[in-house]
Amino acid sequence: MNIHEYQAKKILSRFGVLIPEGRIAYTPNEAKNAAISVFPRGPWMLKAQIQSGAREKGHFIEETAGKGGGIRLIKKRREIIKAAKQMLGATLCTPQTGPKGKPVGRIYVEAFVKVKKKFYAAMIIDRVIPALTLLICEPDEKGILDVAVHHPDKILKLNLNLEKGARKTQIEKARKFLNLPERSFPYLRNLISGMHKAFISCDATMIEINPAGVTRWGRIVALDAKMSFDNNALYRQPNIAVLQDEYESEEREIKAAKFGFKYSDFDGGSIGCIVNGDGIALAAMDLIRKNGMDTTCFLNVKGGVDKDKIAAGIKIIMTNPRVEGILINILGGFLRCNLLAEGIVSAASEVGLNVPLVVRFEGTNKEEATEILQTSKLPIIIADNMEDSVDKLIAAVKETD
Amino acid sequence: MSILVNKNTRVLVQGITGTQASFHVRRSVDYGTNVVAGVTPGKGGISYMDIPVFNTVSEAVKETQANASVMFVPAKAVKSALKDAVDAGLELVVCIADGVPIKDMMEIRHILSGTPTKFIGPNTPGIITPGEARLGIFPENILQKGKVGIISRSSTLTYEAVLETNRAHQGQSTVIGLGDDMVIGMDFIPPLEMFMNDSETEAVVIIGQLDGAFEEMCAKYYADLSYKKPVISFVAGNAIPFGHKMGYAGDVIAQGKVTAEDKKDAMKQAGMIVVDDINDIHKKLLDIFNGND
Repeated sequence: MNIHEYQAKKILSRFGVLIPEGRIAYTPNEAKNAAISVFPRGPWMLKAQIQSGAREKGHFIEETAGKGGGIRLIKKRREIIKAAKQMLGATLCTPQTGPKGKPVGRIYVEAFVKVKKKFYAAMIIDRVIPALTLLICEPDEKGILDVAVHHPDKILKLNLNLEKGARKTQIEKARKFLNLPERSFPYLRNLISGMHKAFISCDATMIEINPAGVTRWGRIVALDAKMSFDNNALYRQPNIAVLQDEYESEEREIKAAKFGFKYSDFDGGSIGCIVNGDGIALAAMDLIRKNGMDTTCFLNVKGGVDKDKIAAGIKIIMTNPRVEGILINILGGFLRCNLLAEGIVSAASEVGLNVPLVVRFEGTNKEEATEILQTSKLPIIIADNMEDSVDKLIAAVKETD
Repeated sequence: MSILVNKNTRVLVQGITGTQASFHVRRSVDYGTNVVAGVTPGKGGISYMDIPVFNTVSEAVKETQANASVMFVPAKAVKSALKDAVDAGLELVVCIADGVPIKDMMEIRHILSGTPTKFIGPNTPGIITPGEARLGIFPENILQKGKVGIISRSSTLTYEAVLETNRAHQGQSTVIGLGDDMVIGMDFIPPLEMFMNDSETEAVVIIGQLDGAFEEMCAKYYADLSYKKPVISFVAGNAIPFGHKMGYAGDVIAQGKVTAEDKKDAMKQAGMIVVDDINDIHKKLLDIFNGND
């Protein structure tokens, strides 16, 4: 689960990380008032709150939003309302959101902090070791990803003690790596220990400060912040769980989540897949692409597939207008195929089956299931294995065209 | 032979009285698995499906000499159950639970370090040696005894890999699901090493996954081996821009975006047989076994 920048900053500041003064605004008027209260004379940063990186490099789809990106420096008071009006309600596209973009429902108004130097700091789990790892880097104008690919030696990786966090020597190493003055040491310690405490206390999976700014006086301020959390630990993090922003998810994702399913949507493509694992989803998508088509969405129904759940899942996929063919590929441990077949038939009879549907399953009662599908008189195609299922579906979709 | 579990493995079930557990334990017992004990704190002293139940793993081990555990406890209870198993000195713990918090897994890895206990999972279908022992939830009806070892990081594709070996008229020596989660107890290398030394196993199938450098590490290990059995490997995810992106840290730690193609290249260079379609596995197995005949 991800949260917005302003929420992440609030959490981090509770653990000692310095942040600029800021307030959230839902309307242009609120933006103006927020600006006056956080920093009477300005300038201010107006920051679109969508869960994506590279917001400043993004652009708005609507022309009315002007040419600026999702993060704007505002110097005059009267420009605040104008900029807020442009951004609120508009759709921001970044390299991380894809061309569909995300609607901006709130903006964070923040005091502009003048800094002499900026750097990148992140905390994440290096799953291979596995260890809690601090990443520190001073990227050039090409950005952190470019450094990661072409100059990995310019990134300092420090494995931290899970409980205790960074040792003094590690913080000192980071300070020297960044060429920060000695007087910055306590501020760097605040930043790193704040990130660590927030990470552990909140069951985070990622904290990214991109960038942190160093002021003339050596103070270190988090100019941006991103946090992601472990969905499996939300049961013990009620204060984090309430921050979930449903507007960040697609309607179908939310519907699917209610059944414990995972729905994923892609740009383009025309095939909808229903599977019971990510691995099999990926393998099916690869095969579909190899055969000249693409997947537009998939639904992972995970374990415990029953009749009603599968019917609900199929409805989520069937009502996606981009879907021109459906592939159901379920490899169950103890899945009873007859229940699955009943679910398919009930969903198809309810919402109508206007596109080809190919089913491939393994599990108990396969013969009984095949009979249920055949006697339903619905145009359902049954396949023997994965490649057969993709071949049959693509042939059927092409025929319908 | 086989690896990690066989008919002599003395299996203990943690959380035996749960509904999911009793369903699968019954099937495992019917399959011939040597289930000697169950553990459910507070229910010690009863007998469940004719299996004696104890309050702690240590008591169970003392009374029954159990040496491996299959854990059916809920995700929240995994960490404390694991501590109990480590304290009792079990050799192997298989954790089925889905949804174990990452922080708990990090702590579990810390608890395990320096102990003789091996941990498979979480979020795995388990481990099965056909005809001998079933620890987990594998659909035993699709398995048959044979010479192919399978190690998989994807639960559903494990079944697909089993079906592929069957299509090649081969069976399995042991099948291991490492688990789908971000932090897992065991990576590819320990079971691969055991398969290389197992007299019964003649070929190994590896099913990798996007994210994490486990496949690359495994490739490096394999490249350096002086004696190699053939390994067929598959990684799904060519058609993917996957998931909802947030920030760069994940790509930074991997030194840039790692694709399925990158992983396959690493495995190819190490001398593994890499397939682009999972349904090509049976063809490669046919090549291997017909060549050997």
